Amino acid sequence: MKRFTSVLMLCVGLSAGAADAPESVDLTERQVAEHVLNRMAFGPRPGQVDAVVEMGVQNWIEQQLDPGSIENDVVERHVAQHWPTLTMTMQQVRQQYQPPYPRDGTPEERLEAVRERNRLRYQVAAELPRSVLYRATYSQRQFEEVIVTFWRNHFSVDQNKDDVSYYANDFERTLRRYAFSDFEKLLLATAQHPAMLMFLDNDVSQKPLTEREERMLARYESRNRVPRSVEALGRHRGLNENYARELMELHTLGVDNGYSQRDVTELARVLTGWTAGMSDGGYLGEPGESYGFLFRADVHDTDPKRVLGSRMAGNRGVQDGIKVVIGLANHPKTADFISYKLCRYLVNDEPSDALVRRVAQVFRRSDGDLPRVYEAIVTSDEFLRPTNYRAKFKTPLEFVVSSLRVTDAEVTGYKGLLRSLDTMGYDVYGCIDPTGYYDQAEAWLDPGVLVRRWQYAVRLATNDVDGVSLPSELIDNIDGDTQEQIRDAIVAALLPGGVDKQTNALMLEQMSRLPGNRLALGLVLGSPVFQQH
Amino acid sequence: MNPTRRQFIQQSGVMLGAAGIAALQPRLLYGQEVLPADGAALAAKPTLVVIYLRGGADPVNALVPYSDPMYYRVRPTIGVPFESSDPENPAVLRIANDKRFGFHPAMKELANLYDAGLLAPIIATGSRHPTRSHFDAQDFMERAAPGIKTITEGWLNRYLTATAGSEERDLRSVSLQPVLPRSLRGQYPVLAVPTYGAEDVMRMFETLYGCDSEKEAISQLTQASDAEPTESSSEASQPSAEQHTRQRIVESGSEGIRKLRHLNAIMNRPGGEGYPNHHFGSQMRDIAKIIHADEGMEITAVDYGGWDHHAYQGGASGTMAKMLGVLSQSIGAFVDDLGPRMDRTMILVMTEFGRTVRENGTNGSDHGHGGFMLAVGGPVKGGRVYGKWTGLDRSRLYEGRDLPIYTDFRDVFAETLLGLYGFDADANRFFPGYDANERALGFMRGVRA
Repeated sequence: MKRFTSVLMLCVGLSAGAADAPESVDLTERQVAEHVLNRMAFGPRPGQVDAVVEMGVQNWIEQQLDPGSIENDVVERHVAQHWPTLTMTMQQVRQQYQPPYPRDGTPEERLEAVRERNRLRYQVAAELPRSVLYRATYSQRQFEEVIVTFWRNHFSVDQNKDDVSYYANDFERTLRRYAFSDFEKLLLATAQHPAMLMFLDNDVSQKPLTEREERMLARYESRNRVPRSVEALGRHRGLNENYARELMELHTLGVDNGYSQRDVTELARVLTGWTAGMSDGGYLGEPGESYGFLFRADVHDTDPKRVLGSRMAGNRGVQDGIKVVIGLANHPKTADFISYKLCRYLVNDEPSDALVRRVAQVFRRSDGDLPRVYEAIVTSDEFLRPTNYRAKFKTPLEFVVSSLRVTDAEVTGYKGLLRSLDTMGYDVYGCIDPTGYYDQAEAWLDPGVLVRRWQYAVRLATNDVDGVSLPSELIDNIDGDTQEQIRDAIVAALLPGGVDKQTNALMLEQMSRLPGNRLALGLVLGSPVFQQH
Repeated sequence: MNPTRRQFIQQSGVMLGAAGIAALQPRLLYGQEVLPADGAALAAKPTLVVIYLRGGADPVNALVPYSDPMYYRVRPTIGVPFESSDPENPAVLRIANDKRFGFHPAMKELANLYDAGLLAPIIATGSRHPTRSHFDAQDFMERAAPGIKTITEGWLNRYLTATAGSEERDLRSVSLQPVLPRSLRGQYPVLAVPTYGAEDVMRMFETLYGCDSEKEAISQLTQASDAEPTESSSEASQPSAEQHTRQRIVESGSEGIRKLRHLNAIMNRPGGEGYPNHHFGSQMRDIAKIIHADEGMEITAVDYGGWDHHAYQGGASGTMAKMLGVLSQSIGAFVDDLGPRMDRTMILVMTEFGRTVRENGTNGSDHGHGGFMLAVGGPVKGGRVYGKWTGLDRSRLYEGRDLPIYTDFRDVFAETLLGLYGFDADANRFFPGYDANERALGFMRGVRA
């Protein structure tokens, strides 16, 4: 039998999975460089594969593992200049972008005030996704962007909910601050962040009403006149378990992994009073009155509790909650769960148990020192194994950002790009599910969605995405006397690791039907191989 | 023109016999036994079109409780008059058989459908979860799991999964908007359709995605590469992970092309007059086209956003009136368009919550609790207002300000699935932690109250 896989076989469908595929021949130097740029960056920029080869792959990896060592001032300045709310405190955002609802004036005046309020709110909400896309595309600290994207989905908040958008900018900053520190700090910072507390309803979670209070409420239920004190009870929200559940299910232990419904309820009681408001800064510890984490002792449940097997008297206020969160961060099952998710993200959709075990061990031994955990993954033999090369399907974010990077696109506006991303199912800071967006092929290989990727690829190549244009050098460099040479030039530019013969032949076949080099470029951007990384 | 109930029955009988679109459940046929003319059509199931009014549509200005004196007391500015000779400020459309309510004057078509026995409003309904967040309320309703965030799949998707056969029709469930409504998200592969005219890119990419119409070319190409073995690393005798992933991408792409071509062919057919010139109207028109095509579409959902009228909601005219007009005209045109096919088609209109009964300071209303739903179509026992109603007296309101909820929205969902498909929600443990009310409202034909 000939040593190749025919197009027809691809179409008919092969049952052999990645797992039982034989170890293939080693990757070329350029393929290894493309691989690390695919996984530890949002894809290569023009010339970057050569640069990494020259610098040495290991050196490049080492440098990326220490983002602070990489000069990135231009990017930071750009963010601060273009999206001012990204560097504001929550307090400043509130003062400048969240005027109180109008109470006085004519209906027209009040309506105008409401409109202005909505406009400001939209402005805050618009800045964050734009900055995310900008950084992912242009930051020199690419691994930082890759990792922050991971935590953004791990600790997903949707800024469309209620007032979350006023605080999501600071939430992003919090993720950045702790993404290369200890998991415990990262977890605690999210646990005390207004955006998270609001998104998962902990801000309204209060100690349950006593029986006496319940009776009082019932007595007045159908009466016209209700005393103020009883009316206040009626506004009492009671316990909300939403955050407590996700804290264990999504953020630490993993679903159904060693906790019970009782633990959820008990943890929710421990966390009553963890809300947002004017405070002294909470865990983030900035002194002075500012908006942020607020512990409200008056709605905190002080009864004794028992969470995950340990008892607490319940009389230590906010400290009880901090203790439980820290305990969860350092729980052995948390090490397993986080390590598994990181391996799945960085290595392949089904990481080996052996790798996950080794990484989890590093997690436990280092008390969740995140840079060491990342290092354990990207310096493992498995990470560079040829079987992982282009084995993952790009998420919409990875697809769009990698297309901008590899074409060296000039972006003057992000609206069009974000709209395209949205139609591909990826709304930055707008994921409804607290699970965040998945990074496995399973979640994204949707028949309808690929069509959107093709539409985007063609529009990008023909300068038809609002605010985005491809540099003329890119188009000029696609040159050649034959269709074949033109194809080779495009493939060399967009897929520096090269493509196999069949793909090459198919591309040529299709290109011969297309008028012009720009569409040929779009074809490669929308091709199956460009969806892989 | 909207059909009167009598015309509708006549048409239905005649057309059903001719077209052979007989139902599995004879009760859908207005009690007339009509024998199917061909077996294929027999297997086709009815279609459910779910319309979601996003933002919390105001129930009391849609179905106006004009006879309750409280209504005009709490809504001095945005109340809809019960009598008027002013064409700028028209009166409610009174319901002959129910003196409590009138339809908003912009809902002319819907009022006609009510009179024809094809529309059933359900009042004081919704989700009992106390949230007043749009976000959570929509989410809870579309997953039919209030307060439970661990259920991540939409109710319609769960239904599609629970009743999926070994071979599914391509267009069993379609969404005509780029992003699927929450109710349709989940493991069942619902097709979300991008803008039409994707034909150009499909033609451009079909070769790379393994469904070239010119099969000839591919096999030649294969033979060509067969002749010369290659040396590239990624071409072992078994597929590498890279090739395996690529194969999955190719298959997914070709499936997309096949389904969209199918749909494009349907959309290109003529027809579909009388819809309002509005995005929502076009979506309803396109849904009608798919139903006309007899491709077995069972479930679809459409969003109509912008109902969060905190300010300048208006009364008999104004912002909300315009939107109610679009809703009413679109549904009216849809019913006319489908004609006898409405026998096997049902529309269910819903919203996440109602609004404060008392108007606010900006001529609008704020987030409330109890809301309304509308069920339209042949499978519905229309011409009656369903659901308990206790008026607008403060003591009867939820937290003294909003309509209460007497009918859990899941009871409506359950009855819809039972009446349309014979699907027993409770037996299938369909609503996590909830069994639908044993006493059905009875708004579906064949379902006893």
